[in-house]
Amino acid sequence: MKKLHILGILIIALAIGVIFISLKNTSTYADFSEAISNPDKEYHVVGKLDKTQPQIYDPKVNPDEFLFSMIDNKGVSKQVVLHKSRPQDFEKSEQIVLIGKMSGSNFHANDILMKCPSKYNSGKPELN
Amino acid sequence: MNEVQYIGERLWAGHLGNGFVVLSFVSALFACLAFYLSYKQPAYLKLARLAFSVHGLSVVGIAATLFLMLFNHYFEYQYVWQHSNTEMDMKYILSCFWEGQEGSFLLWTFWNVVLGMILKRQLKDGMWEVPVMTVFALVQVFLASMLLGIYIGDYKIGSNPFLLLREHPEYHDLPFVKMPNYLAKLNGRGLNPLLMNYWMTIHPPTLFLGFASTLIPFAFAIAAFWNGQYTKWQAVALPWTYFGVLVLGVGILMGGAWAYEALNFGGFWAWDPVENASLVPWLVLVAAAHTMIINKNKGGSLFTTHFLSIASFLLVLYSTFLTRSGVLGSASVHAFTDLGMTGQLVLYVLTFIFISVALLVKDSLFRVTYVVVSFLLLFFSVIYGYKKIVLMAWIISSTVITIISYYKYFPKEKEEEELFSREFWMFLGALVLILSSLIITYFTSIPVINKLFNTDYAPPKVPVYNTWMVPFVIILMVLIGASQFLKYKKTEPKKFFKRISYTFILALFFGLVCSIPLYFMNDFSQANGQRKWELVSYSLLFITGLFAVFANIDYWVMILKGRVSKSGSAIAHIGFALLLIGALISTSKKSVISRNTSNKDVSALGEDFDAQESLLLTQGDTLPMGPYLVTYTGKRRKGIDVYFNIDYLKPDPKGKPAFDFSLEAHVQDNPRMGSAADPATRHYLNRDVYTFITSAILSFDTAAAKKNAFGSAKNYIGHVGDTIFSSNAFVIIDSLRTNLSKAEYEKNDSLLEVTAVLRCINTQSKTFIAYPKFIIKKNVVIPMEDIVDELGLKLVFWKINPDDGTIEITMSEKLSNTRDFIVIKAFVFPWINVLWLGCLTMAIGTIIAIVERMRKFRMQKST
Repeated sequence: MKKLHILGILIIALAIGVIFISLKNTSTYADFSEAISNPDKEYHVVGKLDKTQPQIYDPKVNPDEFLFSMIDNKGVSKQVVLHKSRPQDFEKSEQIVLIGKMSGSNFHANDILMKCPSKYNSGKPELN
Repeated sequence: MNEVQYIGERLWAGHLGNGFVVLSFVSALFACLAFYLSYKQPAYLKLARLAFSVHGLSVVGIAATLFLMLFNHYFEYQYVWQHSNTEMDMKYILSCFWEGQEGSFLLWTFWNVVLGMILKRQLKDGMWEVPVMTVFALVQVFLASMLLGIYIGDYKIGSNPFLLLREHPEYHDLPFVKMPNYLAKLNGRGLNPLLMNYWMTIHPPTLFLGFASTLIPFAFAIAAFWNGQYTKWQAVALPWTYFGVLVLGVGILMGGAWAYEALNFGGFWAWDPVENASLVPWLVLVAAAHTMIINKNKGGSLFTTHFLSIASFLLVLYSTFLTRSGVLGSASVHAFTDLGMTGQLVLYVLTFIFISVALLVKDSLFRVTYVVVSFLLLFFSVIYGYKKIVLMAWIISSTVITIISYYKYFPKEKEEEELFSREFWMFLGALVLILSSLIITYFTSIPVINKLFNTDYAPPKVPVYNTWMVPFVIILMVLIGASQFLKYKKTEPKKFFKRISYTFILALFFGLVCSIPLYFMNDFSQANGQRKWELVSYSLLFITGLFAVFANIDYWVMILKGRVSKSGSAIAHIGFALLLIGALISTSKKSVISRNTSNKDVSALGEDFDAQESLLLTQGDTLPMGPYLVTYTGKRRKGIDVYFNIDYLKPDPKGKPAFDFSLEAHVQDNPRMGSAADPATRHYLNRDVYTFITSAILSFDTAAAKKNAFGSAKNYIGHVGDTIFSSNAFVIIDSLRTNLSKAEYEKNDSLLEVTAVLRCINTQSKTFIAYPKFIIKKNVVIPMEDIVDELGLKLVFWKINPDDGTIEITMSEKLSNTRDFIVIKAFVFPWINVLWLGCLTMAIGTIIAIVERMRKFRMQKST
C-alpha cells in the first residue's frame, strides 16, 4: 500500500496548499477606512444605505452605473459607484454588502448583495 | 385572566399531531435500545421490530395530520397559518408542507422511515438486521427530536409544527389572542409566491429522498465497525448506494434546472452554499460507490469505503447545519432563518463522529478512555464555556485516535496494488472526488471558519470555484475514459495504451477541431496570462471529456458487445462526461448580447468591472442586440406578476428586419419577498437565448394619475432658426413677430407684444405651430405660454437678451410623454442541451446499474 500512502500525503499537501493559496487571494470583509488605506485591493464592505445622500440612476446615460452612498458599520459614509444596473427593491434593503475597491474618492463596486427584511419572515397575524 | 374561550379551534388535530410526535420519538428510542440489546439477546428482536413499525406508523401519522390541517386551513396552527392561505391553488398544498423547516425535517424523517421499512424486510433474520437497524433507529431518534419543540431549561429541543399560533412566542401577546372569535377573521399568510411552481413540488422530495438514502451506506459502515465484518456488507449496500447516487444527483440537477428556468442566477449553477451543501455529499457518495466496487471485486480500499460511507451522511448533517443555522448569513441567496436549532445540529454531527470513532477503537480500555474524556470535555464546555477551543481539541484528538485505530485494529492489504490495474485507477478517481469535495467544503465553510477563528474572509466568487474545479475534472475525465479498459489485478501496459490510443486520437482530433474555433481563434491572442491558461484548460477539458465519451462507447460496443444489462457504468459515465461538456461550453462560451453602448470604459478598475452588460430599451424603439434587433412593446400585469414583452427581430434574406420570436420576461412584484425577476428563455437545439429584466417600472397607475401634469421645465437659449428637441418632436424657432416697432414702443410707452412662432414637427413629420408670447408693459414682463395639446408640450417664451439677440424659451413635457422603459440583460447559452442530455443519460445508466446489481445480489443470495 505504499503507493497509496504517498498519494494520500500528496493529497493532504495539495489540499493545504489550496487553502493557503486561496487565503492569500481571498477578499475579506472590511470597512471603508481599511478599503481606503489599500486602494486597489478587493473588499466586501457591509453597511446600510445612506438615505440623506442622493441616488443617481439614469439608464439613458449608462444602464450599468448607479451612484449612491452607503454608511459602513463604523458610521463612515462614502459615495459608491455600482457598475451594475440599479437593483430592484434597493430602497427596502436593510443591509448591503458591496464587493469592490476604492478608486479615487469613490468606492467602486462590481457586485452587491442585499438583505431585505421581508425575506421569509414578515407579517404578523392580522384579522380582517 | 387568560381563560378566553376560543371559538372554532380544532384542538384535537394538534393533540393528535403532538401525540404522534411524542410517539415517534419514544418508539424510535425504544426501537434503538431494543435492537441494540438484541445484538446479544435475540429475544428483544421481535420487540425492536414492533417498535420500529410503530415509529414508522407514527411518522406517517404526523405527516397525515399536518397534511390534513393544511388541506382544511386550520389557521389556528402557526405552521398552517405561516405557509398557506385560503386563496392559494390547492395543487401547491404539498409545497406548503415542506416550505418550512419543520416540514422539511418531517419529509426527511418520512423518507428515512420508508427506506428503513424496506431495509428491515430485506435484512430480516440476516446478520445485518440488528446492527444496521440500531443505527437507523438511532438516527430516527435524533430526527424525531427535531420535531419535539420542548424546552429543557433554556435549551429548546426541536421545533414543533403543531404549535398554536396564539402560543407562538412572537405572537402570544398580540391583541388577537384576547379575542375569542379571532379564528373566524384569520387568513393564512400563504405560500411564498416565488415557490409556487412545479419545481417546488418535485425538487425537495427528490433531494430529501437522496439525503435519506445516504443513511444506508452509513448504517452499514457503522454496523461493520461494530461487528467487525468489514467486507460482507458491500453486496447488499451497493444497489442502495447507486440508488442514492441516482436520486441525490437527480435532485441536485433539478435544483439547477429550477435555478436556470425560473430564477435569475444567470445560469444553472452558481456555487451557492446551498447547492454546494448537497453536491458534496453526492460526490462523496459517488466515491464510496466506486470503492465499494473495488472491495467487492478485488478487496482493498476497505477503510476508504467505510470512511466515505460515513462521511457522506455526516456531510448531509453538516449541510443541514450550514443551511439551517443561519451561519451563512449574507453568503447565500437561499439562507433559511435560524430556528434556534444550531446547537442541536452541531451536537448531532459531533455525536455521530463520536460514535464512529468509539466503535473503531477495539481495545476496551482505550475506548472507555475516549468516551469518558469526550463526555468530560462536553460537560466542561457546557459549564465553563471555551466552546471553540474544546471543540477543536476534541476534533484533533478524535482524528489522531482514528489514525491510530486504523493502524492498530483495521484489516489491511498485504500486497500492493499494481499501477496498471482497474482498482488503482478507480481509487485515484475516488481520491480526486474526495479532494474536490474537500476544497468545495472548505470554500463553502468560510463563514463557519470566520466564526471559529474570528477571521473575516469573504466567500469566494463563482470563477474561483470554476478555476479550482477544472483541473480535477480533467483528471476525472481521463480516468473515466481509460479505467474500464484496465482489468482488476494487472494489465499489460502496452496492450492497454494501444487499446485506448484509438479513441484518444479520435477525441484529440475532434476536440481540437471544436476547441480551436471555440477557444483559440478569437480569444487566445488577446488574452493575458491567466486567461490563456484558462482557455488551454477549457480545451483540455473538452478533449478529455470527448475521450471519456468515445472510450465508454467503445467499451460498450466492442467489449460488452452492446449488451444493455452490463452497460450501466458505461452509459452513466457517458452521461457524466456529456453533462460536463455541456456545462463547459454553455458556461465558458456564454455570451452577453445585451452590451450597451454607453462607451464608458471602466476596465481600468479591473477585470470584474468590465461589465456594461445591460441594455436600456425604451418602449417602441428598436435596438440592435447581438444578432437580433429588439423592441420592447409593452407590459401587462397578471396577479402579482408584471410581464414585459420583448420582440426579437432578425434580418430576412433581403436585409429587412423580420419578426423572429418574442419573450415575456417577468418580474414578480411580491408583497412578501419584494420583487424578483424571472428570466424568459427561447430554446433552440444548439443554444438558448436567455433574457431577464434588471430594472423596470412595475407600476401602471402613476402614469395615468399624472397624465395631465407637466414635468419640470427645461430652459433653452437660442436664435431664430435654432432647433429644440423634445422626446417626441423637434421644435424650430421659425420667426419672431412684434405688434409695434421699437421706436413706437419707446414713444408711446404702450404694450409691446413679441410672439415666437415655433414649428413643432413630430415623428410622423406632422407640423403644429405654437405661439408663445412675450409681453412688456411699463417694463413689466408678462410671458404668455402656449400649449400644443397633440404633443403634450408647454412652451414659455420669457426672455430676450438685447446684447446678443438671443431669446430664452422653456419647454416642459407632459409626464405621459416620457415613455416606459426597461433595462434588460440577455445571454446566449450555446449547447446547453448537451448538459440536459448528459443528465438524462447518466440517470438511465445508473438505473441500469441498480437493476444489474440487484440481480447479481439476488443470484448470490440464492446460490
